[in-house]
Amino acid sequence: MNDDKKNNEAFRFSRRGFIKTAGPTTAAAMAGRVDEAVAEIEKSEKQELVGPAASPIELNINGETRRLKVEPRVTLLEVLRNHIGHTGSKEVCDRAQCGACTVLLEGEPVNACMMLAVAAQGKSIRTIEGISASGKLTSLQKEFVEHDALMCGFCTPGFITSLTALLEQAPNATDEQIQEACSGHLCRCGTYPKVLKAARAAAGRRGDA
Amino acid sequence: MSEGWPKNPKYLSKDLQRVDAHDKVTGKAEYAYDVHPKGCLYGQILRSRWPAARIQSVDLSVAQKMPGVKAVILIQKVPREVRYYGQEIAAVAAETTEQAEDAIRAIKMIAKPLPFVVNTIDALEEGAPAVFEGQSNLSKAKIRNKGNVDQAFNEAHAVIELAVSTQVEVHHPLETHGNTIDASGEEITCWASTQGITSVRGGIAKALDVPNNKVRVKMDFMGGGFGAKFGAGVEGVACAQLSREAGAPVKLMLSRFENHLSVGNRPNSLQHIKLGADKNGKLVAFDLNGFGSAGFASGGSSAGGGGGAGIPAPYIYDVRVQRSSQIGVAINAGSARAFRAPGCPPASFGIESAMDELAVKLGMDPVELRIINDPQEIRSKQWSQAADRFGWKNKYKKPGSSPGVVKTGVGCAGSKWAGRGKGSSAEVEIAPDGTVEVRCGTQDIGNASKTFMTVVAAETLGISPELITARVGDTTFPPSGGSGGSTTCPSVSPAVKDACDNALEALQEASGISDLSGANWKKACARLAPNPIIAQGKWKKGLSGSGTGGVQMAEVEVDTETGFVKVMKITCVQDCGLLVNRLTAESQMNGGIIMGIGYALYEERVLDPITGVALNPNFETYKLTSMADTPEIDLELQNMPERGVIGIGEPATVPTASAIANAVANAIGVRVLSLPITPDKVLNALSKVPAPEESIPWGRVASLTAQGEFIDLNSKEWIV
Amino acid sequence: MKNFQYAKAATAEEACGLSGKETRFHGGGIDLMGEMKDYIDSPSRVIDVSDLDQQITDKGDHWLIGGAVKLVAIVRHDALKKSLPGLVQSAEHVGSPQIRNVATVGGNIAQHSRCWYYRQPDVKCLKKGGSQCYACEGINKYHSIFAEGACISPLVSNLGIALSALDARVQVMRKGAVRDMSMEAFYELADVNPRAHNSLQPDDLVVSVKVPKGRKSSSYLQISEKGAFDWALVSCAAAADLQDGILRNVRLYLGVVSPIPYSREKAVAFLAGKKLNEETVAEAARLLMAKADPFEHNGYKVPMARAMAKRALLALEAS
Repeated sequence: MNDDKKNNEAFRFSRRGFIKTAGPTTAAAMAGRVDEAVAEIEKSEKQELVGPAASPIELNINGETRRLKVEPRVTLLEVLRNHIGHTGSKEVCDRAQCGACTVLLEGEPVNACMMLAVAAQGKSIRTIEGISASGKLTSLQKEFVEHDALMCGFCTPGFITSLTALLEQAPNATDEQIQEACSGHLCRCGTYPKVLKAARAAAGRRGDA
Repeated sequence: MSEGWPKNPKYLSKDLQRVDAHDKVTGKAEYAYDVHPKGCLYGQILRSRWPAARIQSVDLSVAQKMPGVKAVILIQKVPREVRYYGQEIAAVAAETTEQAEDAIRAIKMIAKPLPFVVNTIDALEEGAPAVFEGQSNLSKAKIRNKGNVDQAFNEAHAVIELAVSTQVEVHHPLETHGNTIDASGEEITCWASTQGITSVRGGIAKALDVPNNKVRVKMDFMGGGFGAKFGAGVEGVACAQLSREAGAPVKLMLSRFENHLSVGNRPNSLQHIKLGADKNGKLVAFDLNGFGSAGFASGGSSAGGGGGAGIPAPYIYDVRVQRSSQIGVAINAGSARAFRAPGCPPASFGIESAMDELAVKLGMDPVELRIINDPQEIRSKQWSQAADRFGWKNKYKKPGSSPGVVKTGVGCAGSKWAGRGKGSSAEVEIAPDGTVEVRCGTQDIGNASKTFMTVVAAETLGISPELITARVGDTTFPPSGGSGGSTTCPSVSPAVKDACDNALEALQEASGISDLSGANWKKACARLAPNPIIAQGKWKKGLSGSGTGGVQMAEVEVDTETGFVKVMKITCVQDCGLLVNRLTAESQMNGGIIMGIGYALYEERVLDPITGVALNPNFETYKLTSMADTPEIDLELQNMPERGVIGIGEPATVPTASAIANAVANAIGVRVLSLPITPDKVLNALSKVPAPEESIPWGRVASLTAQGEFIDLNSKEWIV
Repeated sequence: MKNFQYAKAATAEEACGLSGKETRFHGGGIDLMGEMKDYIDSPSRVIDVSDLDQQITDKGDHWLIGGAVKLVAIVRHDALKKSLPGLVQSAEHVGSPQIRNVATVGGNIAQHSRCWYYRQPDVKCLKKGGSQCYACEGINKYHSIFAEGACISPLVSNLGIALSALDARVQVMRKGAVRDMSMEAFYELADVNPRAHNSLQPDDLVVSVKVPKGRKSSSYLQISEKGAFDWALVSCAAAADLQDGILRNVRLYLGVVSPIPYSREKAVAFLAGKKLNEETVAEAARLLMAKADPFEHNGYKVPMARAMAKRALLALEAS
């Protein structure tokens, strides 16, 4: 695929995504801003470099298309927490050392603190808010509650996010797989034994030692 | 003791699920760090890049004009001195975090670096740079004495001597210190990540010079404190001042880097210990020469609590004749703060190491030696109970006798803690629909306050926990004091019970129904319409106890070629008094043990002697225990309802490192004398490499001791 | 961090074309963003190369691994596990799942020093253009025991050590042309130039790595302070042909002991034609460590590295 074609396709995807999100009722009211934003994206995609000034980006977060203007240095975590109000992901170490900001990028856990928002475009982003979007707890979350796999709760969304990805890929995950999925996470209260128990139970091994 | 609690409880001592768990597993729980009032700005702090300097001028003018910047303040007037790397100098508030960071970097300072000392041993030397000009870095030695120590050692059958050291440990709660404060109007709201909403209110009111009743502090959720989050702090005061100046709410949360430098730590300790016993193993003499640093303000308090560097030696053991001399040493580093059982983990490491050495010398089993010398009735039984659970008799072998490259070993240690209740108040509101709200101005710091309040209310009112909502963390609620010293549960539970008792009485009176059980509850409540009833309650003597004990045993594997230590198992037997909620108490015990593993093997603040900066202000090189490092943990939580409610959050962490250290020594046959026990130290202990040069001037310590302040313990009891 | 211009490159040529003054390539971003957040480097332009070559291709006598291959892809590659176990083991030990999901092969081998003086934002050490290597006189627990140059921060790339043992070659694009470098050449500058982390020029881009299949046995081991997600104190990779217990074509490299992958000809030569057993590996490990010159706080690395070398060699049998 040559570059022009690729860019065009990306552009078509962007516009479709936006119109779908805006919906028929708000589209008219926001028409002026839609045209403006589309024009800006069109312009920016013709130039390959963006920034250092804020420029429009488009992110797919929990199945919704989000459009905003940010500087290239703004991290995905910053966007999630301070631009769109998804505060379930936490900044704890700010250096990919603790896992509290873990989100799923194309279904795989990544540290949102070390990812530029601009670089996360075109990929599906799933956060803790998207894991029980209906308001109903997942079986993993229920096991966390039942086993008391949390204390102050600050690390908990990160663990849930990583283990959700694991259990979606390996519904009967082994202890070794659970340990590995949790290896990028730190908990200062010391909930690990119960996190392990809860994850085991969610993997179908309730009551195992 | 505690006849007030029911004999056959329905909810007490069971496994009520954490009542706010749903909000925590979905990410909906709103911490101070998540609150975002409309128009909220972001605050940041400029800190000293020097371990010691005279700040001659600070130019805020460029920062003030930068895009998005709404307020810039000086923390303290200049010229001034800074005494550690990371001390606060100025603060800004801006519309985005990036703008705040840019503005901080645009503040220019003129400073004259001053001589500094960051190493405790260096600071002890004559001629060391003075942390406070013209003042000694050393406090006067405090000597606590009971009987004639020299004579007792002369008469002892076996005497051992050893010098051990413990590191500076940093609290590092996952939610850093900070607040979101709206001081834009007359009524001030502060969402604080705190263990003490009332003290934060006082601090903010004072800083802004407003009456207390104009400040409301809220704490719905907070991400851990471990003793470091009681007051408003420099960052809280700065946040309030920025908000007032900007006329908008400000969120100021410290970075991980900042949290490492200036909001508390556990002081280090260096302990020269001498311990003597008679031929039966009964301890007859104890002597400690010790020193440690609680940072730049180390005033030499040796009471073993708060921010001082003193330790309560010889901790759990009762030695008839004893002497302890301790010196506080000032260095250019951030101040210590209370940290989960202040003073106890280092004290435990010293005495429990000595006990094992003595056991070897006497040819005794270490558990036997402890049983002989344990003055506390409950704990003296726990040694055997723990030994049975753990399989001590089969596992304990002569030190170093484990075959092969990877050697196994076992060790044990005990703990004590007061965990007593104190004045706390609560209120209960019963609504006409039969639901109940329990309110208390305490905090839930991960200790499950809301959950145990629900348990106590359900038990006392005789209704399902589902009808009850517990609320904490608001200065409009009845005051309860800070969440520290393992006092929360023993303080709050009796107050909630008292409020519920009073509410029941009021409900009986208002409804005219005396039997409120079963279907009568709703019937009685309905008669209240339209108004609810509210009843107050206070902590009362008799419902809580104090003086908890516990024993832990550790099993380790040590790779003698690489020095790697793996903890295989921890057994813990803990007296819990009246256990209020077993499920969450288990979590607390696990947590204390896991933190103790970090203290044993991984955690250590490293300051650079050349530049004076912090070298590991992050989780890459300041290492916390991970799931992979967590062994099998076997808990026996002893429920003793007759003793009343006792706090257990702190004792859980005390003996873990001591037990692990003893297990390592048992495995390899030589002792690693300093925490954390990292592979380099294990290899050094095994003489695989010459140990790095470290000369502790014990001679100088002894001469300082000779000029110390003498306290005769026969006339003044000293108990932590 | 300071602000910058950003572009996502679609081809290596485009990435190099966009590269100018003060440009950094962004693979997984973990190393780069750490430096940028701490103002250790503040590029004015960041070129995202994470979407470039992500192919792992069996080329008969060698594997061709794209520079943008994520470490998770190596960890999950069954054929690579069989063919180059040492490489896969080295990737398994990198960071956490979150890191391996974004970190690239190119980024791992070209990563910068983790020395705590270098990473300290307020210390201007030799590597950052200062006048002094603070680690030499300071706290050097995590530093080199074999260092020729004035900077003693050790190489910490896991893949760099494994690829050295496997005698891989790195394809680097420089000004639009691809050059082929041995692993030795890829790192040698770090040993002599204290400011260098490797031999790359500022706008050099790692486009791929060629790993010969010649050696049928390979291994990688590391020891850390913690049980998981911790940097190695010492790592060791070995590769050889092992037939009837006899070692041939042995390569043996230590990591985190020197600014470059460390090996010693004497130790390797000793192993040629020897039977793989405890005595052989003990002598090889002794020879390997003979020239160690530790600092005040890292003498422990000598026995530790000896143990790791023995174990890495013995692990060849299982691979």
